[in-house]
Amino acid sequence: MGQASQKIRNFSIIAHIDHGKSTLADRLIEYTGALTAREMASQVLDSMDLERERGITIKLQAIQLHYLAKDGQVYELNLIDTPGHVDFTYEVSRSLAACEGALLVVDAAQGIEAQTLANVYLALENNLEILPVINKIDLPGAEPERVMHEIEDVIGLDAAEAILASAKTGVGIQDILEVIVQKIPPPSGEDSAPLQALIFDSHFDAYKGAISNVRIIEGRIAKGTQIMMMSSGKTFEVTEVGVLTPAICLVEELKAGQVGYIAASIKNVRDTQVGDTITSAQNPALSPLPGYRKATPMVFCGLYPVLQSDYDRLRDSLEKLHLNDASLVFEPETSAALGFGFRCGFLGLLHMEIVQERLEREYDLNLITTAPSVIYLVKNSQGDVLSIDNPAHLPPAVEIIAIEEPMVKAAIMVPSEYIGAIMELNQDKRGQYLGMEYLSANRVNITYEVPLNEIVYDYFDQLKSRTKGYASLDYVLSGYKEADLVKLDILLSGEIVDALSFIVHKDRAQIRGRRLVEKLRRIIPRQMFEIPIQAVIGSKVIARETVSALRKDVLAKCYGGDISRKRKLLEKQKEGKKRMKQVGNVEIPQDAFMAVLQIDDKK
Amino acid sequence: MPGLYVHVPFCLKKCDYCDFFSYPLTGNKVALVDLYLTGLKAEIQLCQKDAPSGVSSLFVGGGTPTVLELEDLARLLQLLNQGFLLKPGVEATLEGNPGTLSAAKLELLRCSGINRFSLGVQALNDKCLKEIGRSHTSEQVGLSIQLIRAAGFDNLNLDLMFGLPNQSMLDWQQTLEQALKFNPEHLSIYGLMLEESTPLARRLRSAEPGTILLPDDELQARMYTWACTRLETLGYLHYETANFALPGFECRHNLNYWNGEDYLGIGPSAVSCLRGLRWRNIENIKEYGCLLAKGQQPSEKSELESLPLRVRMAERVILGLRLAKGVNLGAFQKDFGLDIRDIYGEVIRKHEKTGVLFVREGHLCLNQKYCFLANSVLQDFV
Repeated sequence: MGQASQKIRNFSIIAHIDHGKSTLADRLIEYTGALTAREMASQVLDSMDLERERGITIKLQAIQLHYLAKDGQVYELNLIDTPGHVDFTYEVSRSLAACEGALLVVDAAQGIEAQTLANVYLALENNLEILPVINKIDLPGAEPERVMHEIEDVIGLDAAEAILASAKTGVGIQDILEVIVQKIPPPSGEDSAPLQALIFDSHFDAYKGAISNVRIIEGRIAKGTQIMMMSSGKTFEVTEVGVLTPAICLVEELKAGQVGYIAASIKNVRDTQVGDTITSAQNPALSPLPGYRKATPMVFCGLYPVLQSDYDRLRDSLEKLHLNDASLVFEPETSAALGFGFRCGFLGLLHMEIVQERLEREYDLNLITTAPSVIYLVKNSQGDVLSIDNPAHLPPAVEIIAIEEPMVKAAIMVPSEYIGAIMELNQDKRGQYLGMEYLSANRVNITYEVPLNEIVYDYFDQLKSRTKGYASLDYVLSGYKEADLVKLDILLSGEIVDALSFIVHKDRAQIRGRRLVEKLRRIIPRQMFEIPIQAVIGSKVIARETVSALRKDVLAKCYGGDISRKRKLLEKQKEGKKRMKQVGNVEIPQDAFMAVLQIDDKK
Repeated sequence: MPGLYVHVPFCLKKCDYCDFFSYPLTGNKVALVDLYLTGLKAEIQLCQKDAPSGVSSLFVGGGTPTVLELEDLARLLQLLNQGFLLKPGVEATLEGNPGTLSAAKLELLRCSGINRFSLGVQALNDKCLKEIGRSHTSEQVGLSIQLIRAAGFDNLNLDLMFGLPNQSMLDWQQTLEQALKFNPEHLSIYGLMLEESTPLARRLRSAEPGTILLPDDELQARMYTWACTRLETLGYLHYETANFALPGFECRHNLNYWNGEDYLGIGPSAVSCLRGLRWRNIENIKEYGCLLAKGQQPSEKSELESLPLRVRMAERVILGLRLAKGVNLGAFQKDFGLDIRDIYGEVIRKHEKTGVLFVREGHLCLNQKYCFLANSVLQDFV
């Protein structure tokens, strides 16, 4: 009983994609593996067999390493993984909240990248000890000196003690392990205090139910412990406690300061929300750990199977994904153009893309995604307030008293040379300037209030292209504001295609309508008949283009020797059309439904 | 009774756009001709059993059959006449190209039962002929036709092409008007198809931008439409996408393909389709000869296709819709045991709504207005 072990170090790795995070993690596991293997051989084997029998795939979320340091002591090092994108900022902050330190891995040739910064600042906010590692020093273009200066200038860290490493060749790996032991403080916390365990990740296992990856802040947890989720008050009995080494390794208990996983026959991953605090049902903690926030979807879009016969499969697949991803929400909806599908809610655009890609790749579904929307609050003439997440459901203009749209507070960190570009972008996107501070001589943090509607439009792409990728963005929802918004509909051959409707600020409707019809004219291939494309607001046509009819699509000749080949040619042509949706007489390519996002107002 | 196609894989010189299997016949290829004819003799013996009661039509194509020396041509025709029963009045076509004809050869053809001649003209404009690497002039075309007519052929087809490199609408109109002066009973009119591996395709790929212009789809459509209208006013029937004939002169051999009947193909690279099986002969004269010398089928094993019912039905529609007359619904029902609407009901309805397809006198027809866009419709049936 007493204070958390002084021989534990909890850390994560912050790195830009491609800067070598996973190779480094592999090296650390490999380096410390010899000791682990000797000490825990039997356990590792057992669990590996178990893993084989059950065919469980282990999500590498938190790995326990055992390191024999130069001081002769064995340390328990817990490496906690972090997602790396603005959509998942909240998840990153929970992962970091489970650590006392972080390795900041920077590519010796490329230097600091914009996306790394947001996570470094999150780590600093969480009072983490940051240990710079300059990786890939074996590369011909490596410039460790320059990168060190950058770390000092941009982040303000003392880079003098940065470790020069090459995860590829193994140079510097022991130095990294030593500095983790020496610089990262051991966890605080009392294992006799009431249990407080932070869930920093969770996933669903078909055999064990929802599994929570946890950091024990106070107290202890063992098999049989009656636990309570502090956000919901639901109680469960722990059925399994373990750590990953990276093989599953069952342990008696986890104590204050430790990191591991628990299973408690929890049927729904929603009951193990990231950020929630687990406590003891018998002896609950007085308050949860700070920061529990339900992950709420902010971005919505329609997902439709290209083939209506895939509808049930789409539903099943969404349900399966939902088991592992509580932040994904969906409900059935119908579109006159696209038939039966689902309106889905996501944390952000990347989350949306990930879900879409997993559905297409892992579940082999051919999907049409409609342009993302946000939730509008619409006051109608009856005095009701409707929340509208699908532009097609917006009531007719005459019934609308006012529309409010969600706003976000956006923080943009950028080298100061791009201040002008950022201001211009935000003006284009209806942003309200809130403030600016210098982070260093040539780096600023600019804050704006921006309609979320503009963020989901093409804000992120614009931000990246206008700052050569150097800007990083973080945003939080800041409330609703009334705005002069209208619904813009698209007609193809005279018929409204509801899935192409979107809500836009009145001042921008004209230009966006015109750009969209131009874009659609380029995307929609020529067909047997001429296709008029119109953009309308209410009954007023604001833009019109025409896809002229196809002129030639014929096999010049077809005799006995040609038939098989020609038939195959037609089959190929048909295959190419599979990704098109037939709406009335018009065949619309899938990307047309996302086209609304890819129109540049300025062009 | 199947139709019979005989492939003669020799030419004076390969044209730049052609991807058919054929060797330019220069002096030292005599041995190859002999090998071919010996092989053909053996193949005829192998496949006679596939046409026990004769063949419904004969088409000797290539290549350029008329490039063969008189004796070789005589040997070829003798083999065919001995091998297959050609009832009197059965259509028997032979293809030839200007510059390879002689009165003697034509006389021989007439005596051997050939009653239809198909001449490769392509263009009647020397600039265009040069662009596509033809080895004759437009003047030679006229001389050839004189010879053909003098030999007594009263069923003559001319092959013409539009959409040629640097061809203008006027060039095309002049070609067709010139051709019409010869009063052909039949005209085949093809848009140029660029085949990947041909010299023409390579030349177009490597050409300086702007030096070789292929007529765009718009111009090709206008060339085609103009020809259709012009020929119809002169009384030609536009009976198939690319084929026009005076009444009674429709090519029966080709109608056989479009109606989905069986056909037998002999000679290297020839394709046969009998009782739901389709195969292609090997595209190499030596191997062709070797296999036959050993008494084996000279076919390309990898290309043997057993056509499932579904594919046969699709092909019936794809081919039938090329005909102005359309797909014979009674024959469809009889051959497949199913009403066409049981299989394609939805697709047919979709295109009936827009007037693209319609049923007339027991046939499913493609509105001729959409003839040049047929693939957009046909792909719904594969």
